[in-house]
Amino acid sequence: MTSGLRIEKQEPEPLPEPFRVNCQTEVEVKHGVGLHARPSVTFTRLAKSFPCSIEVAVNGSDVWLNGKSIIKIMGARIRKGSILRIRADGILAEEAIRALKGLIERNFDEEKKHGRTA
Amino acid sequence: MAGPLRLKAKSASPGIASGPAFLAERPGAPAAPRTAGGYAALEKAIDVSIGELERLAEGADAESRDIIDFQIEVLRDPTIAEATGARMETDANVVFAWVATLDAYIGELEAADEEPMQARAVDILDIKNRVLGALAGTPIADFPPGSVFVGKDMEPSRFLAHDWSKGGGIALFAGSTAGHVALLARAKSVPMVVGTGRFSAMDGDPVSVDGNAGAVVLEAGSMLIPPLAPAQVPAGDTQTNDDELHTADGVPILLSININDPAEIDALDPATAGVGLMRSEFSTASVADAANEERQLAIYRRVLEQAGERPVTIRMLDIGGDKPLDGLEDLPALSSGLRGIRLLLAQPEIARVQARALLRAAVFGRLSVMLPMVSFPDEIDRMRDIFREEAEKLGRRSLLHRMPPIGMMVEVPAAALMLDTFGSAAFFSFGTNDLTRYVSASSREDIDADDGKAAPAVLRLIAEAVKLAADKPVSICGDMAGNPSYLPALLAAGLRHFSVAPARRPAIRSAIIGLNADGTRAAGE
Repeated sequence: MTSGLRIEKQEPEPLPEPFRVNCQTEVEVKHGVGLHARPSVTFTRLAKSFPCSIEVAVNGSDVWLNGKSIIKIMGARIRKGSILRIRADGILAEEAIRALKGLIERNFDEEKKHGRTA
Repeated sequence: MAGPLRLKAKSASPGIASGPAFLAERPGAPAAPRTAGGYAALEKAIDVSIGELERLAEGADAESRDIIDFQIEVLRDPTIAEATGARMETDANVVFAWVATLDAYIGELEAADEEPMQARAVDILDIKNRVLGALAGTPIADFPPGSVFVGKDMEPSRFLAHDWSKGGGIALFAGSTAGHVALLARAKSVPMVVGTGRFSAMDGDPVSVDGNAGAVVLEAGSMLIPPLAPAQVPAGDTQTNDDELHTADGVPILLSININDPAEIDALDPATAGVGLMRSEFSTASVADAANEERQLAIYRRVLEQAGERPVTIRMLDIGGDKPLDGLEDLPALSSGLRGIRLLLAQPEIARVQARALLRAAVFGRLSVMLPMVSFPDEIDRMRDIFREEAEKLGRRSLLHRMPPIGMMVEVPAAALMLDTFGSAAFFSFGTNDLTRYVSASSREDIDADDGKAAPAVLRLIAEAVKLAADKPVSICGDMAGNPSYLPALLAAGLRHFSVAPARRPAIRSAIIGLNADGTRAAGE
C-alpha cells in the first residue's frame, strides 16, 4: 500500500495527513469454474487500470492479496461460491471497487467472448 | 605504388586465406554498446517480450490469445517484480534472481492439485525462456563471409556466429596461439595468425593470412588478390576406417573428438569413438544463456542424439578469470577471479541450471559430465551433491532424468599430483593447455610457453598422474593430444584414449597406427 499519490478526501477520516479514499466491498463468485487463468487475467487487468492499491481476501481470510498480481489471484484458488472481499486504497478507489465488483457479478464478461474490460 | 607488405606473425591455425579486410575497430568508432546490466536490462527484456507476445496475439485464434494474454499478465505481475527485487538483494544477479522467482512459481503450479493449474506451468516456462532470449540480445554484428578479420582480439561468440564456409581468416595484433579463438580456429581449420603488432589497413583492403609460415600480407595499392577457395577440408578425413583403431602392436586406442560449437557434432565421423570433450561455455554466450535450462537441454540433447551409441563428455561451464561471459561481471563472486568449478560452487545457481539440463539430457544418450579446473577432491563431492539435489527435485516434478558419471578435467598441478585422492571422480581427462600454463607459470599470452618449452615437464607430470589414476578411465583432451610429436610420450605414459579437434583427427590416427603402445616407432615405419 505504498504506491502512488493520494488525493481528495471524500469522507472525514481519522487519519489526519494523507488524504485517502479507502473502500471495501464483498461479492460472491458465481462463475462456473472460479478464477482460473482467463477470468484472473480479466480481473488483474481491470485492477491495474486503477491507480489505487487493490487487495483481495477470500472467504473471510485476513490474508490480503495484491489484486493486480495474477499469480496471487490465480494462486488463491477462488472457486464458485467463494466470497471475495475487495478493498481499494487511493485515487479512484471507489470506482475501482465498483468496477471490480461489477465484473465479478457479470461473470467476468465471459459471454462477451474475449472482450476487453480494461 | 607500394608493393605488398609482409608482416611477420605467429601461426595460430594453419592454412592460407585471402579476402577483404574486416576491421574490428573502426578509427574513432565508439565502443560497442553494451547492454545495461542490472534491473534495467531485465525490464527492457520483459518489455521486448511483451511486444513480441502482443504481435503474436494479433491474428491468433481465441485460445492462443488467452494463453498469450495470460503470459503478458504474468510478465506484468507486480509480485514477480517484487520477488525478483528481493532476491537481487541477497543474490545480486538479476537474471538468476528472475529465473529463481519464476522457477519457484513454476514449481508451485506443477505441484497444484488441479490439472488446469498444472498446465499453466509450461506457459510460465515459455515466457521465462522468451525473456532469457531477449536478455541474451542480438549477437555482436557479424562481418561479411570470406573476410579476413583484423583486430586486437576476437570474441569466441563472434567466431562461432560467423559463417566460415566461405573462407576467410583471422589476423590479430595481439592474441595468443593458446587463446580460445585460436583453439576454435584450429578446430574449424580457419587460417589464423596472432601477434602481428598493430598495422593499418582500410576496411575491404585485400589481405592474406598465412597460417603456415606465420605472416600477414597486405596488398597495398591496386593489386587484388583473387579470392581463395573456401576453407580447406582436412585431407585424409575421407579415408576408410574400421571402427577399431590399434597401435602397430595391436593395442586398442580410442580416438574421440573435441567440439566447441554444437554444430560441429554434425561432422562426427563414424569411426570416431565419440565426443571426448564438449566445451559447454562456447554454446553459452551470456549469463542469460547460462540461466536458460531449456536452451542448454536442447543443445546437449542434439549432441547426444547425433552421437547415438557413442559416449559424449560435456564439460560444465569453464568461465571466470580470463574466460569472460557477457553479464558475468554483475556477479560478485567474479571480483575474486574465480574460475571453473570454484566459480560454479560460488555461484551455485549457474551450476544448478546446468546440472538440471545435463541430468535431463542424459536420458538421450551416453553422457558423462566433466568438471573444469578441479583442484581438490571436495569440489567434486560438492558438485555431486548439487546434482543429487537437482535430480531429486526433477524427480518430484516427474521430469525424466538420469545421473551421469561425473569426472574431472586434470589441468591444475595440485590435482595431477594428488590424483589418487580423487576417489569420487568417475574418470580423469588431462587438459594440457591449462596444465601447461600452471606448470610453467605462464599466461595465455606468454609466447614462450606456446613454443612447447614446458612440454617435457607437463609430459612427466602426466606420466606420474596416470600411475596415480589406478584403474579409473583416463584420457587426454588438451591440445597436446592433437600434436603427433607428443604422441610417443603420451602412449609411453599409458594413455589409450585421445580426444582431439576434428581437424587433427586424421593426423593423430595415422600417427597411432605407426607407433607401438610403448610409444616406440613400429618396425618398417
